[in-house]
Amino acid sequence: MINLRNISIQNKLVLIQVLTSVFVLAIFFTGFIMIDIKDYKERKVKSIQSIAKVLAANNVSTIQFQDNEAAKDILSELQNVAPDIVRAVITDTDGNTFAQFSKTKADSSWFDLGNKTFAFEGRHLYVTNPIVNAENELAGHVYIDCELSELEDMKSKKFGIAGISLVVALGCGFLIAFIIQTYVSKRLLFLVEKMKEASETNNYRLVIKDDGKDEIGILIKVYNDLMYQVNESQQRKDEFIGIASHELKTPLTSIKGYIELLNEMETRQPQQIFIQKTKESTAKLEHLIADLLDVSRINSGQLQLNIEEFKMDELIDESIDSISAGIRTDHTIIRNGTFNDLTVKGDRQRIEQVLINLLSNAVKYSPPRSDIFVSSTIKDEQLIVEIKDFGNGIPEEDKEKIFERFYRARNTSVHISGFGLGLYICSDIIKRHNGKIWVESGAKGSSFFFSLPTIKKSIPI
Amino acid sequence: MKRILVVDDDTDILNLVKTILALNSYAVETIADWKQLNNAIESFRPHLILLDISLSGASGLDLCDELKKAENTMHIPVVLFSANVEMAKRVSECGAVDYIAKPFSIKDLLVIIEKNS
Repeated sequence: MINLRNISIQNKLVLIQVLTSVFVLAIFFTGFIMIDIKDYKERKVKSIQSIAKVLAANNVSTIQFQDNEAAKDILSELQNVAPDIVRAVITDTDGNTFAQFSKTKADSSWFDLGNKTFAFEGRHLYVTNPIVNAENELAGHVYIDCELSELEDMKSKKFGIAGISLVVALGCGFLIAFIIQTYVSKRLLFLVEKMKEASETNNYRLVIKDDGKDEIGILIKVYNDLMYQVNESQQRKDEFIGIASHELKTPLTSIKGYIELLNEMETRQPQQIFIQKTKESTAKLEHLIADLLDVSRINSGQLQLNIEEFKMDELIDESIDSISAGIRTDHTIIRNGTFNDLTVKGDRQRIEQVLINLLSNAVKYSPPRSDIFVSSTIKDEQLIVEIKDFGNGIPEEDKEKIFERFYRARNTSVHISGFGLGLYICSDIIKRHNGKIWVESGAKGSSFFFSLPTIKKSIPI
Repeated sequence: MKRILVVDDDTDILNLVKTILALNSYAVETIADWKQLNNAIESFRPHLILLDISLSGASGLDLCDELKKAENTMHIPVVLFSANVEMAKRVSECGAVDYIAKPFSIKDLLVIIEKNS
């Protein structure tokens, strides 16, 4: 079943116009044909009735003198007068056939007219007329059976013309509707396209020019106003995030510095443990602020890449080292798969940020004592890095959303701190490198992949 | 003993850097008001200037540029200091030798100061 809601406005408009015109035309044509048929029938009845009257008048004497032959002669004249009369019968007062004319073989049965003087039955018109003599006495009846072959011809011809006219009208209607709808839907589709673009690129500065005063014009105006507001608040929010995180950095610098100083001087327990705890929290805070700043940079278009050439393998190893140094739980990060001594063009620091982020996620979401695998392969001129963990996996409905900002996976048994910005930032960085980032996940864990275009210089080891 | 001049409008940061550097055998002079920069350079004759980028009322990048253009100060290496990494990366534009991003680790600070002073 086709859902009307799912048909495009473009097609809906065409459909409405075509259906309306076809419907109206069909009613119009049918009405006309019906009137025509009615007219024709009335005329036919009148003419056959007058023939019957003439026959009745002419046969008064034949009945009176019982002259069958003369009556037959009169009846056979009908062939010339009205060729569509197939049968004519003259009966006496008792209803016995006195004389008969028949184009087909003679038949004694007759259509029962009852009290009516004429009747239509099938393709035949039956007419009767009493024969009244000079004394005004009933002498018999004239019965005429007229075949309506003309009517059938007329009907099929008229319906044929109506049908052809309808098809032509359908074609014209379609054409006109198509031309008109393009004007209507073009603007709508343009609006939709711009809205899509705005939502995909987060560029809310797109203004649509349209002078129309109709509903679509109003819609576009409302859209423009809305975009202006979105843009304003977006800018204010980004400014706020930027300023706030920047301001947070200054006291954080003091905290971090003094804690480090303290760490070097204080050797007693449990002070040393407290210092370590404070250091860890400071590091987390630093990370969060950095993420917030990155998001504000991404949204305000200020995130710039410092493109250089670097060896991906080295960067992966460095990232694993730096993550491993910070892991308190007993996870082991293992490199496997193909090792490619491959040079990549990109922002080394930003790609490292992606690696560290994906690795620390893998550590965060992995059960204790489970391994994490990192591998890199080349496929279709793309370098693909995979980071595989053995965590609980990601529910199907979350797979797309995890790369959105401020999105955090639900249904996790442990509370994972953070704003839910890491993957959003990763995704943006990889996209800026013309790469892709995606996740494959099942009950046995998740694999995060990202791909980067390669410069081929490979000396496979 | 190497003399380091630190310019930052945040006194907490100044105290922190002074403490760290003093503990690591540097002679440190700090100024919170950038207008005293030239006086401080004249009297203290630093081996290195650690200059914050966003000072109240002035840009560290501009100050650095001026220092590099003036004959009597152009030989002193300047290390930029900023919470804004993107800004701090513009070291070469103003003739600075390096940058330290806030928040910094003591190790990084000492390595950069050691290398450039």
